[in-house]
Amino acid sequence: MLAASTTTLPLVLGLSACAGPNPLAGPPPLSADVRALLAAVTAEQQLIYLYKRTMAVYSALTPALGTLLAEHQAHLAQLRARIIEPPGKTVPAAAPSRQPIAGAPTAALARLRTAEQAAVTAQLRRLAGASPSLAQLYASIAASEATHVTVLDGRLHG
Amino acid sequence: MPKMPSVKAELQALQAALAAEHAAVYGYGVAGAMLTGADSAAARGDWESHMTARDTLQAMISKLGAAPVAASAAYQLPLTVHDARSARRLAAVLEDGVTRAYLGLVAVTDRTLRTFGALAMQEPTKRAASWRGSTVAFPGMPAAALSLGRQGARAPE
Repeated sequence: MLAASTTTLPLVLGLSACAGPNPLAGPPPLSADVRALLAAVTAEQQLIYLYKRTMAVYSALTPALGTLLAEHQAHLAQLRARIIEPPGKTVPAAAPSRQPIAGAPTAALARLRTAEQAAVTAQLRRLAGASPSLAQLYASIAASEATHVTVLDGRLHG
Repeated sequence: MPKMPSVKAELQALQAALAAEHAAVYGYGVAGAMLTGADSAAARGDWESHMTARDTLQAMISKLGAAPVAASAAYQLPLTVHDARSARRLAAVLEDGVTRAYLGLVAVTDRTLRTFGALAMQEPTKRAASWRGSTVAFPGMPAAALSLGRQGARAPE
């Protein structure tokens, strides 16, 4: 699995009489940047799950949260688009863990706020090892998520 | 001795961010004149934030041994400001421009500058959202940089 950039082409492995990757040795380990990208995908999936469940439980929050959910879905689409997957292997389609929703709307909003702030921090940690274009995507998503923190603060304290 | 390519790229990105801050300082002067009450106070606060950011960038560029790009005497603003609504729109556009410029810094190799750029774009993004009344999914990113690549369009999860 590779991370796409404008300056790299997909790597195609083929059998060769010369020294090269051993096709019987199994897939090579994922590089750090691909692991980071997969972690970013998982994090967005978990945020999306949290938003959807919160809106399902507290439908009155839907007008306030719908736009933020849509932005996370757009984030996820862009992050997934950066992954070049070998044929037959797909990135998991949904959040791996199902977190319970808080017992009151205010607590649910606070939970979302905490999750958004954690997402901002996590995106910034991914910058160092990323390609320039991927770093810019992480930074842009982090900035978007920072505005979500502000929106949720407004709902909590407004 | 010629500057190493990475330092040259860093300087270019810093100068671009400084130019954006100069434009924002100028533009808020125009926008602020059409705002009253809480909007006027917010514009003043944002104007001061841009001046502080400008000073920071000037110091960073000077430390690299280069002359910080100077502000222009005047700027051609992207829209005509004739009332409070257009003034708020201008403020959002100014913040979008600053956000884009800091995103340019994120592309440099130096990790400290990259983080600085990523952090620096958050406040203008929030201010833009406040002036516009709405958030966006990819602050600072040009449309051409956003694609669904090899996997094409997907239904939202």
